[in-house]
Amino acid sequence: MLLDIVTKMAPDDYVGFTFFIGYMAMAAASIFFFFERGSVDEKWKLSLLVSALITGIAAVHYGYMRDYWGATLAADGVGDSPTFFRYVDWILTVPLMCVEFYLLTKLAGAKKSLLWKLILASTWMLVCGYIGEAFTDGSTGHSVQWGVLSTIGYLYIAYTVWFGEVAQLAENSNSSAIKKGVRALAWFVLVGWAIYPIGYMCMEGGWLSNVMDPSSVDVWYNIADAINKIGFGLVVYGIAISESKSSK
Amino acid sequence: MNLFTFIYLVGIYIILNLFQGFKHIELEDQLIYCSFFILIIGIPHGAIDHVLLLKKREISKLKFYAIYFGLIIGFFLIWHLSIIYSLIFFLIISAFHFGESQFSDIKLRAPLKNLFFFLWGFLLLFTLIFYNVEELNKITLFFDDTLELESVYDRNKILILFYITNISTFLLMLYFAIIKKIKIERFFSELFLLLLIHITFYLFPFIIGFTLYFVALHSLKVMNDEFVFFKNENSSFNIKDFIKLLAPYSILSIFFTVVLLLLAHYDFLPYSVPLLSIMIISVITLPHAIVMNIFYNE
Repeated sequence: MLLDIVTKMAPDDYVGFTFFIGYMAMAAASIFFFFERGSVDEKWKLSLLVSALITGIAAVHYGYMRDYWGATLAADGVGDSPTFFRYVDWILTVPLMCVEFYLLTKLAGAKKSLLWKLILASTWMLVCGYIGEAFTDGSTGHSVQWGVLSTIGYLYIAYTVWFGEVAQLAENSNSSAIKKGVRALAWFVLVGWAIYPIGYMCMEGGWLSNVMDPSSVDVWYNIADAINKIGFGLVVYGIAISESKSSK
Repeated sequence: MNLFTFIYLVGIYIILNLFQGFKHIELEDQLIYCSFFILIIGIPHGAIDHVLLLKKREISKLKFYAIYFGLIIGFFLIWHLSIIYSLIFFLIISAFHFGESQFSDIKLRAPLKNLFFFLWGFLLLFTLIFYNVEELNKITLFFDDTLELESVYDRNKILILFYITNISTFLLMLYFAIIKKIKIERFFSELFLLLLIHITFYLFPFIIGFTLYFVALHSLKVMNDEFVFFKNENSSFNIKDFIKLLAPYSILSIFFTVVLLLLAHYDFLPYSVPLLSIMIISVITLPHAIVMNIFYNE
């Protein structure tokens, strides 16, 4: 149990603070999305279930990350960054966010191949990022090589949702809610997900480590995660509610 | 976000990864790589000025070339009279040209439209200078013939201009969004773009920051506008035709630019390479900005 390990949390431990908030916010969002499935039409229930799964999986991992951070707190009040748990969480939740894109555009005729392309690109992005971050030998070559490979996956997803298949399907759909929703989710990918490669470069020895303190990277990850995952779900929820009302 | 902002974003990620690997890129290397992109993509965007103008106005070729090259030679002579005033004049025309190409599609009345173009362009230039003023001073002090320019890059003056242009451009864009001259989504897209511009100009060295903007957001956008113009005139016009149209004039321009820069590099010309580069860019920008103004307005 966490309280057996951690006897005191410093009031200015913002990383720990955001781990606690992230954990509860994700759990609350998960319950909300799950129960709100009853308020939407049948065809939207799966989308809300996926939203609930995303925040639910994140809540569990935030629990682990919070404990890991607390258990490794050193005398200077800084714990170890839970890179392992973070990537386990992302590898499960980010492809699920891509599933949301597919479920939204499925109503406008999206094919299964789109789903697999997005899942593959997101998994590629995260696996390369994990190798670059967790298995670093300290050389810049390693960091750059895996950083570039990971970025390719990210840019592919950004292109697909802004200009590619997802954007075109949304544009051709008759629903203004889907058009607006896909555009809103595209902004999440563009702005919200951008924090992750920036965080990658802020790691110890990274080029941006003088711009952002490496120990504070987890604060930004936690804030970005909460906005991306809960916000993403709320956009899907908004579309589902609006479409369900208009179909009645 | 439009396609050019996306290309800009791709450029940012590529450069971020490069810096992650190399931490520091020498000025000479920056100049070589950036010159390559400016020559390959920047020059072609202005290589068909004569074709565009002759499509828009009934004017004899001789008259056109006389005015076009007259402006180039005239501005070149002004550089010899005063380096400082020439640079300021260059910044003014560049500001208008950058603003005009960025918002060529919005419909506004003339005085307000021109004011907005100037403000946006100045925002761009002063933001670039503001974040890199120390680097610019270093480059300026490195060569004898650019020493004079140091007074232009005064940090206090630039700071004031940076705030004035950023705040006033934001307010004017907000006003356009309120009176529905631009859509709310466009307003946020432009704000996002400005955020990206700030980030890149802050993070990257002067030359890399400028090249990224000039290539991805300006030159490619203008070339796209030119392509759409020809496509509207002739629906069978395609990318291959466009490249064929651009190629001869671009190759010629690139050739002469490289020759001039090499002559300066080997001291056959009495200018340093940075000064000659600014001079070349400025003298070709003046007639190009005038042609593009006619292109966008008529």
